[in-house]
Amino acid sequence: MKETRTAMIQRGILAVLGAALLLTLVLPQLPRREKKAAPLPISVLMRESDTTAWSSARLGMEEAAGALGVELRFLTPTTANNGAEQNQLARREAENGAKALVIIPAEPESLGREMAGWGSHCPVVSVESALEGSVLSVTPDNAQVGRAAAEELLADWTGGAVLLLETGGRGSGVSQRLEAARVRLSQAGVPCIQRRADAARLNESLSGLLRETEARWVMTFGPLATAQAAAGKETSGWTQPLYGAGVTMRVATALERGTVTAAVAWSDYAAGYLAVQGAAQAARGQEPAKEAVPFLVVRGDEIYAPENEKLLFPVTY
Amino acid sequence: MGALLTRLSGKIRAWYQTMSIQLVLSLSFTAVAVAGMLILGVSLSVHFANTADDLMQESSQRVLDQVNWNLDSYLRSIMRISDTLYYRVVKDADPTKASVAQGMELLYEENRDSVVSIAVFDRQGGLVAAAPAATLKGSAFPSQHDWFRMAMEKMENFHFSGPHVQRLFEDPDYRYRWVVSLSRHVQLTRNGVTEPGVLLVDMSFAGIAQVCRDTELTNGGYVYLIDSSGELIYHPRQQMIYAGLDTENNRAAARYSDGTHRERFQGEDRQVTVKTVGYTGWKLVGVVPREAMTTDTRQMLLFGLALILFSAFLLAFLNFRISAHISDPIRRLEQSIKELEAGRENVDIEEGGCYEIRHLSHSIRSMVSTLHHLMEDIIEQERQKRSTELEVLQSQINPHFLYNTLDSVIWMTEAGRYDEAIQMVTSLARLFRIALSKGKRIIPLKDELEHARHYMTIQQIRFKNKFTSQITLDPSAEGLYCLKLTVQPILENAIYHGMAAAEDDGLITVHAAREGDDLVITVTDNGLGMRPEVAAALLDENRPDVRTSGSGIGVRNVHRRIQINFGSQYGLTFFSEPDEGTRVVIRLPALDEAAAAQLQREDTP
Repeated sequence: MKETRTAMIQRGILAVLGAALLLTLVLPQLPRREKKAAPLPISVLMRESDTTAWSSARLGMEEAAGALGVELRFLTPTTANNGAEQNQLARREAENGAKALVIIPAEPESLGREMAGWGSHCPVVSVESALEGSVLSVTPDNAQVGRAAAEELLADWTGGAVLLLETGGRGSGVSQRLEAARVRLSQAGVPCIQRRADAARLNESLSGLLRETEARWVMTFGPLATAQAAAGKETSGWTQPLYGAGVTMRVATALERGTVTAAVAWSDYAAGYLAVQGAAQAARGQEPAKEAVPFLVVRGDEIYAPENEKLLFPVTY
Repeated sequence: MGALLTRLSGKIRAWYQTMSIQLVLSLSFTAVAVAGMLILGVSLSVHFANTADDLMQESSQRVLDQVNWNLDSYLRSIMRISDTLYYRVVKDADPTKASVAQGMELLYEENRDSVVSIAVFDRQGGLVAAAPAATLKGSAFPSQHDWFRMAMEKMENFHFSGPHVQRLFEDPDYRYRWVVSLSRHVQLTRNGVTEPGVLLVDMSFAGIAQVCRDTELTNGGYVYLIDSSGELIYHPRQQMIYAGLDTENNRAAARYSDGTHRERFQGEDRQVTVKTVGYTGWKLVGVVPREAMTTDTRQMLLFGLALILFSAFLLAFLNFRISAHISDPIRRLEQSIKELEAGRENVDIEEGGCYEIRHLSHSIRSMVSTLHHLMEDIIEQERQKRSTELEVLQSQINPHFLYNTLDSVIWMTEAGRYDEAIQMVTSLARLFRIALSKGKRIIPLKDELEHARHYMTIQQIRFKNKFTSQITLDPSAEGLYCLKLTVQPILENAIYHGMAAAEDDGLITVHAAREGDDLVITVTDNGLGMRPEVAAALLDENRPDVRTSGSGIGVRNVHRRIQINFGSQYGLTFFSEPDEGTRVVIRLPALDEAAAAQLQREDTP
């Protein structure tokens, strides 16, 4: 009896020591056993065929892709702001195995309706515009951007009508900015003239619009529209002050030259990074953080302020 | 607390008293071994952690030294460009001439990987020459820049600016490049007039990044470069930081002296190593997250713990085996003693184990052997004592019988019956000769029967032939041996109890025959007989020994003697009924001559 008890105690001690030994041997191996995750395929759908205006955003997206193990696939429509084509592209990518989509919507409303009919669940992150059905919208508060641009104009306004150029699809961030600016200007008693225009062709079409409307102030609400308007101003020689939203390198040059009086700026790099990060998180079943992209208003003489430099000009090697 | 300790100590003591020696040995050895290894392990772990920390610092320091050396080489190469530009292209030449512009273009082309632009400005900040060929932006005022002012103020030095976007020249591709400007004061000769100016070399970030980029510190550490005010010049996540997506403790790092520091930044403990880059005032900062170090240390500690546990496991296993090896002989000895206590005979006491245990086993074995011998001696002595006692009792018969016989001989002689007297004396002599039988206990059966016959001859004469006797030997019993004086007491009993009332018709028969391995002698009389319970009581050991003529003591002695000598399965059996006579069966082992001789030898001391 005593012998059995002794043997049992000894076996118990050996079992405990053996189990502890195995545990200490296995524990360090666990992190190494974590398989390196395969790259997460995420498709990025631009809304313009000319993506130079989005180069900073693209840099941010690629940085996030490298850091988070994401494989990006950039897709552009054949024509700018072609909502139908973008909707088709989005559906195809969702059905062809993209784990998530990052979309700069051309027509957010129709895309939202299209997404509702998708058979598969593919998380979508929108950039620039809020999008119904998306898990995250990486955009500055578009209404505030519009109001800020309007405030900047109001600070300089000396009279005359303001031409508001609508270059985005219905429900897009561009439209929201425009609407907010229009409301603010109207509140201030500023006459507003709203015209739809193709952002990519503004360099050619804007002088005609100005002649037609006799507007004394011009406002654009997207980076491409602002850059093209500035280009048109430099080539056509019209003198109306130009206010924009979104700062690309061309817009920065225009600001520096005084072609653009003021522009609302935010970091496209940060927006691109946050969009891909949010898409990757959603694809991996995590809840992406929802936070509006901060923005500021810059005038030509302010662009080289140290903090503005960092925001506006990406570091490239 | 004291009471608790006392109670605990009492419990341990009580537990100890119930534990086997093997358990005590194994647990004690294991506890001591494990404690020793733990102490060793902890001290080694502490030593390892300190050494790892030191190695990490040294590693970071070495890496930073190497980066510093590379960066210094790079900056010197930029300074050489500036020197070349000044001494070989600009100095003593009119910068407005084409040869200067050509030289600058050539120099730029040679170094375009590391240089964004090179330019010469006059004292007012006016552009004298630049490469690549470019026009100054309308909004650019070089004389308002720090690099220009520093060069004009401290003429003998090179001046490195902080990182900034190059914004002097028009760029048809709308590029805005981050640069670090190297400026110096120069003397320009234009139209034969010498005047002060500033020579500017804008270094690209790419060259600096190339020096720092591929540098990795241990455990996921990284290196970044700041200027004297803490502004980032290079950081592996520079754009992230600029975009507000990441942060760095660069402002605090600018205040650190060269060496290794520990800081806590955004909830993370970090080891920060700082190295100042000579003449620039820049600082290289190496950052190693302590969490990563801790992870590695944890892995090493786990490995160390595994080694300790393996050693403990091995030691425990060996301890258990060794303690079992030591204690097994003790346990077996204890088991043997328990068996002895339980009364088991022929217990094998093994003499195994180490010296002390073997000695103890040997002593116990000797003691048990001695005990057995003593017990056997006692039993033998007891048996002999009993036998002697019975022999004495047996010899008690003789005086009465002798007295009566001799009295009869006297009476017959006096009566002139000389033949009968002679016959009686002859039978008596023969009786005694057989009774003595040279002191032998076992005698031939025929002698025993002859002895009975002589006894009956004497008694028939004494009792005036009131009874007759027949003594027969079955051929199967011929040559057998039996215990001496077994038949005569039965005959005596038959005569005194059975023949008392006989009137010349008494008959006593003795018949000896072999039944298997037994010799059966049957004595039958046709006397008075007795009740069966009386017959059974004749052999009752509790019946008092009242010595009367033919009282049955002789019968009981015969029964005892037979059982003492041959075992309880032998002895006498009485069959009697009143007025029917009595039959006594004497059962003995059938001893041949050899068996008799063997018994005789055992009797010989």
